[in-house]
Amino acid sequence: MAGVGLANRRLDVALPLAQLYIREARSSGDLRFLGYAEATLGPWVGAMSHSPDALVLQATVLQSRHDFSAALSVLDRALTMRPGDAQALITSATVLRVLGRYRESLSACHALSVRADAAVVALCEQGVRGLTGDLPAAYETIRQISSQGMPPEERAWRDSELGEMAVRLGRDDEAEHWFKNAILFSPDDFYSRGAYADLLLREGRSREVLALLRGRESQEPLLLRIAIAQKALGDPNLATSRMRLRAAFAAEEQRGDGVHRREQSRFLLEVEEDPSAAVRVALSNWQVQKEVEDVLVLARSARAVGLPQAAAPALDFVRQWGLQDVRLTSVPEKRS
Amino acid sequence: MKALIALLTLSMLFAVQSVHAHTASNGFLTLSVEGSPRLNGQIELAIRDLELAVGLDSDGDRKVTWGEVRAHERDIVGYVAGHLLIEGGRTAGTCQVRVGTPRVNERVDGNYLWLPLEVGCAHSPSALTIDYRIMEGIDPSHRGLLVANAWGTTQTGVLVPGAGRTVISLGRPTWTSALVQYFRVGVWHIWSGIDHLLFLLSLLLPAVLRRTDGRWEAAPLVRPAFINILKVVTAFTLAHSVTLSLAAFDVIHLPSRLTESVIAASIIVAALNNVFPKITAGRWRIAFAFGLLHGFGFASVLAEMGLPPGARLISLVAFNLGVEAGQLAVVLMVMPLAFCLRATRFYRTAVLNWGSSGIAALAVVWFVQRAAG
Repeated sequence: MAGVGLANRRLDVALPLAQLYIREARSSGDLRFLGYAEATLGPWVGAMSHSPDALVLQATVLQSRHDFSAALSVLDRALTMRPGDAQALITSATVLRVLGRYRESLSACHALSVRADAAVVALCEQGVRGLTGDLPAAYETIRQISSQGMPPEERAWRDSELGEMAVRLGRDDEAEHWFKNAILFSPDDFYSRGAYADLLLREGRSREVLALLRGRESQEPLLLRIAIAQKALGDPNLATSRMRLRAAFAAEEQRGDGVHRREQSRFLLEVEEDPSAAVRVALSNWQVQKEVEDVLVLARSARAVGLPQAAAPALDFVRQWGLQDVRLTSVPEKRS
Repeated sequence: MKALIALLTLSMLFAVQSVHAHTASNGFLTLSVEGSPRLNGQIELAIRDLELAVGLDSDGDRKVTWGEVRAHERDIVGYVAGHLLIEGGRTAGTCQVRVGTPRVNERVDGNYLWLPLEVGCAHSPSALTIDYRIMEGIDPSHRGLLVANAWGTTQTGVLVPGAGRTVISLGRPTWTSALVQYFRVGVWHIWSGIDHLLFLLSLLLPAVLRRTDGRWEAAPLVRPAFINILKVVTAFTLAHSVTLSLAAFDVIHLPSRLTESVIAASIIVAALNNVFPKITAGRWRIAFAFGLLHGFGFASVLAEMGLPPGARLISLVAFNLGVEAGQLAVVLMVMPLAFCLRATRFYRTAVLNWGSSGIAALAVVWFVQRAAG
């Protein structure tokens, strides 16, 4: 690649190039770009690294690949080099939150208050607060944050956070509004699109899912939602989607990648209708990440296979933190 | 300007990948070990990845066409052969990787090039040491997903580019896998190497007849015909089993040019003996004498394949049983028919005389070819 040779010698080339690759990987979900970013950063993140910026980007790559513990240790190195680094703190807070380490996540958010603007700090803190027993208040607080003059990515972050909170509060109408906004401000963000698709699927609006995700079959998490919608509609294209997902998950399994284990578990449960395989994958996913969606897929597949106690570790976690989500109380029985 | 280069690189990648699933970069490598020092296999690499590694998009239109793939075929083959180093363990040494002509195959994340591999080692490998360097320095998250088939078992492995060698121990064939595999080779060999069958048939065609007063006539009963057939087949089997075993365990070794030529000569003798009968009783003796040489012919097939370590005897027996089974199947198909037709002129003129003459003519051609080398 043309840029890499130069990036090996010049940090001022390597950093923006890696940033471009990471942004592309995140918005498109294309994992190859994480590899290119890693190649670009390679010479700058070794044991002798002096660049906290390169380390933070490296941590972002690791985080996007769901290698969370490696990401945290790289972030620690960056923060030792440059205490209080805003980007390192935001990334730490995000990783810790995904890991369910809410107290530490919240301290990273607090530490951020010195360097970052108030809206970012509030988004960071309230996001965690919304998971630890204070959902309605956190939702209101974020709603009060003015979106005036916010950069588009920050705006999309706020709106998708609000959307997810509204879902968990059972206010689907509001959630729909926020997801639509988030997609408007960040059209390539596959995360919000996926969350919105889930809402539509829950409401039986499968046709709208196909319209929302048309042309995005390339992104595994979105192809999963397409497949679920196709199954609900009896769409003959399901065969192709199913085959593609199977092949992709098989390759990831052989690689030992855990990036899409949540999606794989849902695929097994909702498309393949193999709940016992789904439980296995959902449990191994729970070892890696602890977001509400991870609880849900584990609880649903455990219920479907007739072993609700398999989800006990996740449900204990929910009780321990007071995690609130209406979907948890309405985990559907196995459909006949 | 430099940032511009970076941006251009990026946008090019967009176009190459645009519509397909976004998995991480994988190379799919399959290797099959089946006794011989030659391994067969294949590797599939994404055209997107090869574009970065080799540079396929000559006209810079951000699309890789089949024409561009063809134009860079030598570069692709050279890149793969140079970045995939295989050794066959202590016994087999370094192996030569030969990459064949690419074909296109579609996968989840776009078009891949499917490249056949032929890996030649000095001896049958006991382990595979793979040094996989494809995409090294370009995409550190690339992985080679290996499937190794050996002796009826399948192993998988993940190859990390530039992370050193991966050793896949092939183990030993299980008793049953060696049995099945060498039996199959035996059957296949007798059916595809038509010379052994023609020799046997030449001896068997007159078995349903008998020679009285210088003329062929139908054998009156099933029993003597059956005994004739049994004698010939048994003599042939015993003879070639003996020499096959001796050769397989390196007790006797004959140059293959000699054995192949004599095998051709044996067919000429057996076939001509039907047209101009000299030995009419006790044809089993011809079967036995020349059967010894046919055994050396079978042995050369085994030598090419090699007997798997730890299962030499069972493989030899299985191969031989395969040969016998293949031969018996043909005998059981042909001889009842011959028995039914034996009284007809058609059988005696067309089948026995003309057929044997044809076989002899064919064998003369083989003899000349083989003797001339």
